[in-house]
Amino acid sequence: MTGLQLIKAAMNRKEVERIPWVPFVGVHAATLLNIDAITYFKSEQHIINGAEAAIKRYKPDGIPVTFDLQIEAEALGCEINWSKVNPPAVVSHPLADGTLKIADLKVPCRCSGRIATVMNAASKIKENNPDVALYGLITGPFTLALHLFGTEIFMKLYDNPAHVAELMEFCTKVAKAMSDYYLEAGCDIIAVVDPMVSQIGPDTFETSVTPYCKDLFSHIRDCGALSSFFVCGNAAHNLEEMCHCAPDNISIDENIPLELLKEVTDKHQISFGGNMKLTSVLLMGTAEESMFEAIDCMDKGGKTGFILAPGCDVPMSTPVENLEAVTNIIHDTYQQDILRAKGQSATQIDLLNLDNYFTNKKVKIDIITLDSQSCAPCQYMVKAVQLAVEEIGSQHIEVVEHKIKNKEGIQMMLSLGVKNLPTICIDGSIEFISIIPPKMELIRCIQKHLELKNTALV
Amino acid sequence: MENILESLATCIEFGKSDKSIAYPPELKGQDGAEELTKKALEAGISPNDVLKDGLVKAMNTVGEKFTQNKIFVPHMLMSARAMNSSLAVLKPFFKSGEIQRKGVFVIGTVAGDLHDIGKNLVAMMVEGAGWEVIDLGVDVTTEKFETSILEYPHCVVALSALLTTTMVNMEDTVKALKEKYPKTPLLIGGAPVTQKFSNRIGADDYNADPQGVIEYLNKIA
Repeated sequence: MTGLQLIKAAMNRKEVERIPWVPFVGVHAATLLNIDAITYFKSEQHIINGAEAAIKRYKPDGIPVTFDLQIEAEALGCEINWSKVNPPAVVSHPLADGTLKIADLKVPCRCSGRIATVMNAASKIKENNPDVALYGLITGPFTLALHLFGTEIFMKLYDNPAHVAELMEFCTKVAKAMSDYYLEAGCDIIAVVDPMVSQIGPDTFETSVTPYCKDLFSHIRDCGALSSFFVCGNAAHNLEEMCHCAPDNISIDENIPLELLKEVTDKHQISFGGNMKLTSVLLMGTAEESMFEAIDCMDKGGKTGFILAPGCDVPMSTPVENLEAVTNIIHDTYQQDILRAKGQSATQIDLLNLDNYFTNKKVKIDIITLDSQSCAPCQYMVKAVQLAVEEIGSQHIEVVEHKIKNKEGIQMMLSLGVKNLPTICIDGSIEFISIIPPKMELIRCIQKHLELKNTALV
Repeated sequence: MENILESLATCIEFGKSDKSIAYPPELKGQDGAEELTKKALEAGISPNDVLKDGLVKAMNTVGEKFTQNKIFVPHMLMSARAMNSSLAVLKPFFKSGEIQRKGVFVIGTVAGDLHDIGKNLVAMMVEGAGWEVIDLGVDVTTEKFETSILEYPHCVVALSALLTTTMVNMEDTVKALKEKYPKTPLLIGGAPVTQKFSNRIGADDYNADPQGVIEYLNKIA
């Protein structure tokens, strides 16, 4: 299955052979290209190159064209503050300061502002990567309304709900137009990114967001495309309402427990994703912690309807090796099992005292495996040891396989200091890690230990 | 007399600033926070009691409801606006010294960061809890925080950051201020900020919501 097919299957809640992976690379692409964020966001070619670099490094099943929630606001007259290390930020709200009135606002055309830059980039990225699901990210109506009106909009919800309704209607028209531009450019998925909805309660959501977003998702569906509803912040109280808007997928950040999202979306038969911890793990953690985080999310999400993704836009300086580690673990079920076992072991297992485990009589070969019955590399490693021992003669050699599927196996693995599987230890020293040694090399190594033992006995 | 303060607290809790505000619908056409504050003073209630049994009581309820996810940002802003209408009436009594504030609370979003919703909410709630609030705005440098500490030597300082990148600036500011002014309590908050981060950079307290800040202030006031 291609990435695009995997994403489509997940969004249609069909069971998939592998959980699809969508790293939300926007400003992080600037790091991959070794340029600053301003240069990246303003250039069609850099946006194309950024997506290409992310596809090459992170082997995603889906990828956004870019991640910039200021494009529409900028085209509509909001002042933008540019940063070299962050996406731009909206700093003026033309409807609040009276510069503009709702009636003055026009839906921006495809050629205005940076809309053309992004749409042209989208076409090229799709042309070069037809098998990767391409996400076009649009600013959700409520967040766009907030860009235009500022935080005053929160009070207008009570003071003048009709005014807010008029603005939401306009912002929905903009969102539909942006969806159309992205779909014409070749995008497969429209992601409606509406982080500000986390700030309102379910009753306000129901009256001031649901009618507009429902209309928007219906429009995207009518165009034959799939949709996702992105939120960030603690929007747990609005998950039910978000489902009522009928998107194909809901994506959240780490503020909402993934189990809760799964429970709600399962009930509504909607696909779901996101949740990987951006700051504490992907940005500030290690590659191994990033892998554990991916496994944890995948185990909670399961293979029906779940799309693995970071909680939101990947920060610019996220270490590349952390995302590469996630990429690797997704494609390697064997390493996943090893990490699961390791993760389980870390907190619960005491180390063994091996003082009396090794004797002067026999060379002891410990093979740490996942299980040689079910894991091919483990099976070959055990076989290689058996053949070598047969050749040497087994009277002074003892071979033990430790399967880390049980507690004793994990205990032995940790006590021997083994970190990767499968591994061969001879008389307590780690000799071969992951790689199955050629027969002669293995024989030489065992003989070296036999000689050491003989010398010791003499 | 108690009824006036109870009505005032209700108006602030539900965000009815003055008579012209039509929300909540059941109070349409009735006096709001501004009118009730004036009436309370006219009835001889002391400004301190108006503050304590009207404003602080109402904002405390608002803070608790917010923490419990019973109300959200729009409602909180409505309450804060109503509180400000009442504070405007009480302003002369602050100036004359008849009402004593609990202390000075300096707040700002750290350098390089332009986000202000969370910072504003904390500022409003702390003001509603009886503190004098010095809001330094957004993109606040270490030097600006320092100027305020020099002006108000016994103040509490709060720093907000909404971006992972500006958390670095938060760390620099906290470390610089802590070194020069070890006795000044430094509080931090913001979406990406965690208790772990707070411990690492040596801040005195981290809170996920405004009510946590109030609880901390109540402990030290």
